[in-house]
Amino acid sequence: MKLEQQFAESADLTIRELTLCSASAIGALVITMEGLVDKQQLAQSVINPLLPYDFGNQSPDEVGQSIFRSVIASADAKAFSTMEELVTYITSGFAVIAVDGASQFCAVGVQGFAFRGVSEPESEVVQRGSREGFSEPLQINMSMIRRRLKSPGLVFEQMTVGSESQTQLMLCYLQTKVSQELLQTLRERLQACDLETVLASGYLSDYLEDEKTSRLFSGVGISERPDAVCGKLTEGRIAVIVDGTPAVILVPRLFVEEFQGVDDYSNRSYYAAFIRFTKYLSFFAAVFLPGLYVALAQFHPEYFPTQLLIQTSESLAKTPFPVMTETLGITLVYEIMKEAGLRIPKSLGHAVSIVGALVIGESAVTAGIISSSTLMVVATAAICSYVTSTLYPPIMVLRFILILVGGLTGLWGITLATAVIIISVCSKSSLGVPYMSSLAPFSLRRMRDVFIRAGWKTLGKHTIRVQKFAETEVRDAD
Amino acid sequence: MQTKTAFSSKRFLLALMLCACSIILLQNDSIAADTSFTSQLIGIFAGLSVCFLLFLPAVYIKTHFDRDVVSLVSDSLPKLKIPVMTVYACYFVYTALYFLLPYTEMFHTKYFPEVSPCLITVLLLVCCVYAALKGVNVISRFGVFLFVFAMVTNFLMFGGSISELDWAHCTFALSGGIGEFFQNVVYFITPAFVIPIFACLSDSTQNFRLRQPIFALLFTGLKYTAVVFFICFALGDYARRQGFQTFLLSRVAHFASFAGIESFYQGLSTMSVFMIVSLLLCGITRSAEEGCRTKAIPLFAALILAGDVIAATNNSVKEILTDPTLFAAVTAAVAAVMPLIGILIGRKSNEQGNLHSIKHTGAAADGLQRLASD
Repeated sequence: MKLEQQFAESADLTIRELTLCSASAIGALVITMEGLVDKQQLAQSVINPLLPYDFGNQSPDEVGQSIFRSVIASADAKAFSTMEELVTYITSGFAVIAVDGASQFCAVGVQGFAFRGVSEPESEVVQRGSREGFSEPLQINMSMIRRRLKSPGLVFEQMTVGSESQTQLMLCYLQTKVSQELLQTLRERLQACDLETVLASGYLSDYLEDEKTSRLFSGVGISERPDAVCGKLTEGRIAVIVDGTPAVILVPRLFVEEFQGVDDYSNRSYYAAFIRFTKYLSFFAAVFLPGLYVALAQFHPEYFPTQLLIQTSESLAKTPFPVMTETLGITLVYEIMKEAGLRIPKSLGHAVSIVGALVIGESAVTAGIISSSTLMVVATAAICSYVTSTLYPPIMVLRFILILVGGLTGLWGITLATAVIIISVCSKSSLGVPYMSSLAPFSLRRMRDVFIRAGWKTLGKHTIRVQKFAETEVRDAD
Repeated sequence: MQTKTAFSSKRFLLALMLCACSIILLQNDSIAADTSFTSQLIGIFAGLSVCFLLFLPAVYIKTHFDRDVVSLVSDSLPKLKIPVMTVYACYFVYTALYFLLPYTEMFHTKYFPEVSPCLITVLLLVCCVYAALKGVNVISRFGVFLFVFAMVTNFLMFGGSISELDWAHCTFALSGGIGEFFQNVVYFITPAFVIPIFACLSDSTQNFRLRQPIFALLFTGLKYTAVVFFICFALGDYARRQGFQTFLLSRVAHFASFAGIESFYQGLSTMSVFMIVSLLLCGITRSAEEGCRTKAIPLFAALILAGDVIAATNNSVKEILTDPTLFAAVTAAVAAVMPLIGILIGRKSNEQGNLHSIKHTGAAADGLQRLASD
């Protein structure tokens, strides 16, 4: 009755009353949540073995023991005694057997809820490598990691967050590689999370970020790929798997990681180095190109090569707005179109593309509202920003800031703003580890996997580990 | 926020080296016109040798006591802490103005004639305050990126100027009067301003070696040599007509039709001034408590701004503040005297057993031995 009150007589709470075969006809309850259990498995593992079993003259406690030891036909059975555990088990898809008068309950794993199958994550597509991506159920995600890392040092540590949602999460790390200091810091931060509901891993990001550091770039990594997560675990990082979401949190996160991809480690090292180079170039183009264009066009047109200067000047002269307003406007329109493209039903997607490309693009240039050179610069920057898609939010913000700064103060302002941005990023840390580690603080040895990806024979010689040393730097553990 | 975390001394010296190298970007009409390349080279050697000698007392404190002047004085004779910090604070404000005034004048003259130079100073100081609040460790990390940018810039500038070199007039004869030579020596002592910064902020650095300042000065010398070499043999009289060093190499630096490499040099000078002023602000508020520091840094920035406004409106004040001889003399005095006071107090306190927390408990010989081994 207490349980029914707790669940406010919710329709999905199922309580099956049984009378066990014993001298005193002891009563028992099988408690489940509708939709979370596989009924066939429930019948085979619990009901069918339980009903015909003769308990003789056993006391209720002995009956409970017998059920746990001799009756249940399931490998996943647990004994417990508190109401809190009871709620957790039934909401996790267990069937709980409560014997009248017994001090302990018995939970049997008969989960059978529907979930999305294992599929390739759309945000992290690779050319060569595994096609598996994380799914929503916690156990499946854990099994995907365990299958790849068979080391006994791989530890899954369970925690619960969210006072209402009681969301289960697993801290996952390699005992032999992880820094205990980092692990303890992470535990403390998760315990300090006072949210009522945690429905996705993104809810926890803010709690895992370091205090008093810039929030522009994220110090919390996200991955939907088990192979990527396993790679990070071997470097001493900690994964946080949140039940109900395929996005696994990885901490600490460093800036250079944003430019590393799973494919880099499958491709030839020279090709991987070239890809890294294009990623860095794209990042800088995405952030600085529109701002520099505005600064040069407005304050220092003499820096353009003559032919380009003539064409750019002609193009800009035809438009009614200053170049800064024009660039800001096109960038803003592009952001709106991007958001519309993401939210719009697929069947209407083509219409948006046509409107974007023809009406806003070509027609606006023909009508002399915007210049073709500005449009080209903004479009190039927009494409470049998707090369490192995880950095899109800071890229977008910085792009707007630099357009404004470039338009108001020219190259001088861009230089100063760059200095401030670098200071801001250098001051950031992720779980105490400097975000710009490998670059600043500089580590020559780590350069083998920053701008280039050295061959496996070189990479395999030293294990890179993310640790919090006396100077809070990333060092190699060898 | 400023961190108490110990960080690499190598990285700190790299930042100081970048500050020292940047002098040649900012000062105008400081190298005597009638001196030959060889004379200027000797001037560089003499000036940087003086800098090295001035560095020794601060280096001695770091190697022997493993701390900086301020913390040594604070621990040995707390009464003297405020006077020492006052001297350093005055010197740092003066140094900030010494670099800011020609810098803002340069940008005002060249790029923003319609904008008040004070506005340029305000914007720059706001950025410097932000950096100073982040602390020396973060600024030294910024130095790593600035170093890469400086390397690229120097490569572009000197690489672009190679075609302009006039080898026919490339002579190494010694010419120029003694007065001009001393003028050059005084100018090349200017990098010594990094010594008070080192003496004030090196407490939280670790793994210090004597070779670090030596390499910093050598690299600075190399940079100066490259600049005077191109001034003498690629630019000639053109250099004399330029108001600011930053523009010296600009007109000859070009790769094909790509102009505007000078913007790299101006970018470098902006970032250098930004780093110098940020470090100076950190130095001024070196001994302030965490809570006070957040208030003290903007306060001193406002003081620098006030000085800048006064100098901008009063030409005689500006003349005094930007006088290289006066600056060299004050720098030499602060760089040498303050650490010497620290050494005297530290040794006396050590003899009396008051300096409990000295990390190297041995005698002065330990420090000298380490100096010798380096």
